[in-house]
Amino acid sequence: MTLTAFPPPPSGADHNDLRQEVRAFLAEELSDFPPEKRAKSWNGFSRDFSRKLAQRGWVGMTFPEEYGGHARSALERYVVSEELLAAGAPVIAHWIADRQSGPLILAKGTEEQKRAIVPRIAAGELCFCIGMSEPDSGSDLAATRTVATEVEGGFRVNGTKVWTTYAHVADYMILFCRTGKSDDRHGGMSQLLVDLKATKNIQISPIIDMAGEHHFNQVIFDDTFLPSDALLGEKGEGWSQVMSELAFERSGPERFLSSFALIEELIRLLRQDATEAQQAEIGRLSAHLMVLRQMSRSVAGMLNEGKNPALQAAIVKDLGALFEQDIPRLARSLISRPAVPGGRDSYAAVLAYTELAVPSFSLRGGTREILRGIIARGLGLR
Amino acid sequence: MESMIHDMAERLFRDHVSHGLRADAAAGQCPETLWTRIEEAGLHMALVPEKAGGFGVPAAEALGLVRIAGAHGLPLPLAETLIANAVLAGAGLALPRGRLTIAEGVALRLERRGGALHTSGHMAMVPFARWADRIVTIAALDGVDHVLSLPVKDLTVTPAQDLAGMPRDDVAVDLALTDADAAPAHRSMGGMRGLGALVRSLATAGALETILRMSVEYANDRVQFGRPIGKFQSIQQYLATLAGETAAARAAAEMAAGSYDTAAFALTVAAAKSRSGEAAQTVGALAHQIHGAIGYTEEHALHHFTKRIWSWQDEFGTELDWNRELGRAALSSPHDTFWHFITDSTAQGVLT
Repeated sequence: MTLTAFPPPPSGADHNDLRQEVRAFLAEELSDFPPEKRAKSWNGFSRDFSRKLAQRGWVGMTFPEEYGGHARSALERYVVSEELLAAGAPVIAHWIADRQSGPLILAKGTEEQKRAIVPRIAAGELCFCIGMSEPDSGSDLAATRTVATEVEGGFRVNGTKVWTTYAHVADYMILFCRTGKSDDRHGGMSQLLVDLKATKNIQISPIIDMAGEHHFNQVIFDDTFLPSDALLGEKGEGWSQVMSELAFERSGPERFLSSFALIEELIRLLRQDATEAQQAEIGRLSAHLMVLRQMSRSVAGMLNEGKNPALQAAIVKDLGALFEQDIPRLARSLISRPAVPGGRDSYAAVLAYTELAVPSFSLRGGTREILRGIIARGLGLR
Repeated sequence: MESMIHDMAERLFRDHVSHGLRADAAAGQCPETLWTRIEEAGLHMALVPEKAGGFGVPAAEALGLVRIAGAHGLPLPLAETLIANAVLAGAGLALPRGRLTIAEGVALRLERRGGALHTSGHMAMVPFARWADRIVTIAALDGVDHVLSLPVKDLTVTPAQDLAGMPRDDVAVDLALTDADAAPAHRSMGGMRGLGALVRSLATAGALETILRMSVEYANDRVQFGRPIGKFQSIQQYLATLAGETAAARAAAEMAAGSYDTAAFALTVAAAKSRSGEAAQTVGALAHQIHGAIGYTEEHALHHFTKRIWSWQDEFGTELDWNRELGRAALSSPHDTFWHFITDSTAQGVLT
């Protein structure tokens, strides 16, 4: 049963020299970055940090050198990614572009698109957002209503996107929309590259989340004109393009390290003096983490070999979300100390932040139910 | 992974390990003929290094046989014989013919009486002892681990069994040892407990894959309310969870198998035994839920596998034991951060 087989990551995947370089860089850059900021995990935004990281060659690592990349392996990129996440570095300014938009443009884009955009991603200068969800199209992506009608010289776009993370600061959106009619639910879809800074008639407004944070936005396209060269990939092939993006989006270490700041705080407090029961819980947590990391690195190895491990990626995301969502409960079962938003005690502040963040972990990037449906079909259910 | 010995084992077990054979074994009948076939194929020697008479298969591949045996519910000590032969070869002791088994020797007393070694004491839950020719164990003499090869005919064996009806016998030992039967262990991978935990994790991973396959087949075949039950979302969600746990157990066990004979083994095997045991609980419960009443009968094959994975949870260190060990290591590690402990825990080094 190949679905449940995760080949071991290739030997040498540790890349210890690179790991030590990244650690030294982070120790310096984040020397006074407090735990409650690290708790934001990959949702922390800093263009300055992303640029500095790019100067070290750690953005666009896997991109070809002719497009400003560094031609390094997916496993080397993995080492950098996991070190950034474990340290709680503020990476969202380049994260989406580096993880999926850049690889998508490289795979499907025209030569002009590649030359115009990919080097700037690798320089840490471009922030991307993903225009997939809509008010009536959440888990059911095929229900997308946003329409791009062909007009002279390009497209006229009408529709509304929601939950668009960091659209208010992003430079580009990759917009998933309808460009034609099709009997197939998945047909007639395309992806368009939207220059958010230069395009008129786009209205971006905040959607504040339950933690009081502004990550999400509503993005309204109102007779918005996009030039013909905004088309990314083949017209009508949007569905399959989106699906192949998802293996990149779903398998990475961000799918089980989102609560890592709380884990570090918890262990800091237990280090002095732990009962056998507390030791056992930390042991169980360690076992889960070691195994998730092994599985996630295995997927990175498969991606590196050019395979499409979409099902294995769905398994990693499902297991990873369960793990990272369980950390506040685990912390509470081990330490009796109330959560205090913004509190001076860093454990209490990190617990408060994480508690309010975890419900989103099994919603973003495909809900738990959708992922499990994908896994079940992959098992051969008729 | 393409592997000739895996294909060979897969064919052998598929053709010869039936529901009836497992039931007969649970009723006390040792499948002798099948063991002869295993020996003829040489599977029991796969983990022995080439220079000691093995055939040079990488350790992780040789250990893969244990997963395959687990997937078929093989009622014979193949995993035990593989490990016993490898440990004997490591200590430079002769490799005896026949079925071997392994046991933790921490409760054994090992001492010098006159010029000779003498061992005495008690070993509980020794797998397949009454079907084995020898028990290979590791006990300490003046703080140095020694490998002991104990002939079962000279021991007192009191039959007992695990949940699946497999022999897990009590063994009383009071025996003078010759040089041919005892030697210092060439290195320590955590005694027999760690090696036993490794093979139980691998076997669990294999059994979980079988349970998953049976559950998918049943969900496709069983019709209620006019459609296969696999069409219902609740069943699909169960199956997806089952697949995730199965995948995690296999990744965990293979992570430990991949660090066999390296410094990382002590921590990876702890993680493997803990994670595969946890998966066994979740998968067992969901598989029975999916199968409904028929899966709760003696007639249906499911119980041969669920009873095995539940038994294996308790052998060679329970989850609680291994969790404590791993947690103690994490909390007392000299690393600056927990993260550094995690990345180092799987780093492969040479075992000193």
